[in-house]
Amino acid sequence: MVNDGTPDVEVVARVLGGDGEAFGILIRRYEPGLLRFATRMLGNPDAAADAVAESLVRAYRHLAQCRDPARLRSWLYRITGNRCRSHLARRHTTDIPLSEAPATALADGTDAWAALERREQVALVERALVALPAEKREAFVLKHVEGMSYEEMAAVTGARIPTLKMRVHRAREALLEALEEAYDESN
Amino acid sequence: MSPIDPRLQEALDGERDPGTLPADLRDAYERLTGAARLLAGTPRLSVAARVMAEIRQTTRSEPAENTLRRALRWLGRPRAVTVRLRPVWTLALAAGLTAILLLPFQVGSLPTPGEAEGVAQFVGHFPGARSVEVVGSFNDWSRGMLHLNDDDGDGIWHGAAVLPAGQHEYMFVVDGERWVPDPLAGRYVDDGFGAGHQNSLLIVRPTATER
Amino acid sequence: MRLRLALALIALASPVSAQTPAARLSGRVPAAAMPAIDSIIATAVVESLPTEPLVQKALEGSAKNVPPDRLVSGVRGTLVQLRAARMIVAQAMPGQPIQEGHVAAVAAALARGLPAPIVERLLTVAPHEPPGPALHAAADMIAHHFDPDSAVDLLVEAHSKGLRGMRLLDVAVAADHELQRGGGRTPSEALAHVRAMLPNVPATESGPTGAAVTRHGTKGS
Repeated sequence: MVNDGTPDVEVVARVLGGDGEAFGILIRRYEPGLLRFATRMLGNPDAAADAVAESLVRAYRHLAQCRDPARLRSWLYRITGNRCRSHLARRHTTDIPLSEAPATALADGTDAWAALERREQVALVERALVALPAEKREAFVLKHVEGMSYEEMAAVTGARIPTLKMRVHRAREALLEALEEAYDESN
Repeated sequence: MSPIDPRLQEALDGERDPGTLPADLRDAYERLTGAARLLAGTPRLSVAARVMAEIRQTTRSEPAENTLRRALRWLGRPRAVTVRLRPVWTLALAAGLTAILLLPFQVGSLPTPGEAEGVAQFVGHFPGARSVEVVGSFNDWSRGMLHLNDDDGDGIWHGAAVLPAGQHEYMFVVDGERWVPDPLAGRYVDDGFGAGHQNSLLIVRPTATER
Repeated sequence: MRLRLALALIALASPVSAQTPAARLSGRVPAAAMPAIDSIIATAVVESLPTEPLVQKALEGSAKNVPPDRLVSGVRGTLVQLRAARMIVAQAMPGQPIQEGHVAAVAAALARGLPAPIVERLLTVAPHEPPGPALHAAADMIAHHFDPDSAVDLLVEAHSKGLRGMRLLDVAVAADHELQRGGGRTPSEALAHVRAMLPNVPATESGPTGAAVTRHGTKGS
């Protein structure tokens, strides 16, 4: 998070007062987390970038309707979560049709083997995550990747806390099972 | 999927010290928290420039103007491509015509949409692309009819066309070979050729809209 | 001068109806697929189905270099959808002449995944209006997780309060807008808010024609 010392409430007030450029502060502050969240939800960085861009533009246009600017982060995650759900509902395929997707380059560095190993681990976890139903995936990511409390998750998703706990618990069970299977296969 | 031990759930919820877990549960705890750490990498992406560009455009377009005036202004931006399309098969004379159509028009020479037509804008972000065009049902899926422009080289390609009101399916063709749906089109439809590919769908409103 | 010449040339362009499907497909559709596609189009003519969606599908597949067998299969799939659409139109409007525009619009709605009972209900509500906008509005709302029956209830109510044609799309946009508002609303709350505004849902703001089309930020290479 970018912290230039200005509270969200003040930045929001500046934007609503006509200083559109101040919205850039909020983008820098929340963009990394929103992109991470959307990437985990959609399984595709390009689609995630589109969802986040759409969400931020929507947030800008409707900033006056953010009821509690002190909880701006929850509001932005909520909008992004909705956009991700819309993308998932509308798109059966997430990749570019009729063309080869470019291979992702491995990270540079001297320890290429470690990078490869880590990449394989990430791919394994990503596969397990993407196999979860969207609601459980969202719950796990918000809880364990974004580090939110159940209260904030409720503000983001609109679901009740017991429901969210149940989703997180089920997601953990499914993930653990998938990870153990993968571990067994590799040994 | 088997339920996992409630003590593990409690530890993962921060309600129990993981150090108090038995060894097998502590392994599972490490495995899940390790997975979460692997997922916590931040993508090396940024949409900030794109979002701010759109915001600035939104800001500039206020206060409200009538819709046609907004269309004219948008279309009249320097070197935006504006094309009036007709099905390609009608254009036996097209060889010379295409070149003429693809030259930029000035605001004053913009084709005014008829009552049953509307203006469609196309904007795509294709950094590094050499060419981007729009191909769809409105031009009989023909190439070379509607090219997008990126004059300032920022990777944002745009163009517009006067189209018949109603539904049209389309895709972008990048660098003459890569067919790309518009992920933000908002509407998609399976293309029916069995590979699960989707066309983008747009609905053009007539300029003389029923309000 | 250049523009005048261009517009003059466009004015010379002949209307769609002046060209036969065969003439439009000639030279673009692979020879291996042509006989089967000709036959599918002939079948559509015999069954009084619109042929334009079939021609478009054939041109689309050819432009995308789809292999001939899949190309034919895609065109045949469109024919099947048109048949289903014709049946739905006939059921929804018994005793009335079937319009090709209705059949094509219903086929497009089915392709978007709109359930047949929903289509039928919307056709029944406004049998003498082009059904495309209402069908797309319903498909949009369902894609945004609104309950299909509740979504159609709202569209029917909007229609009863005077909203017609493309204005029905504004109802779908308003519903999505309400769903995305800060503070969080459930789909049913969002629909209730839109219902309370009827018929004064906001006109769609984006796009130069007040909602023609605006595209932003497509994925790059």
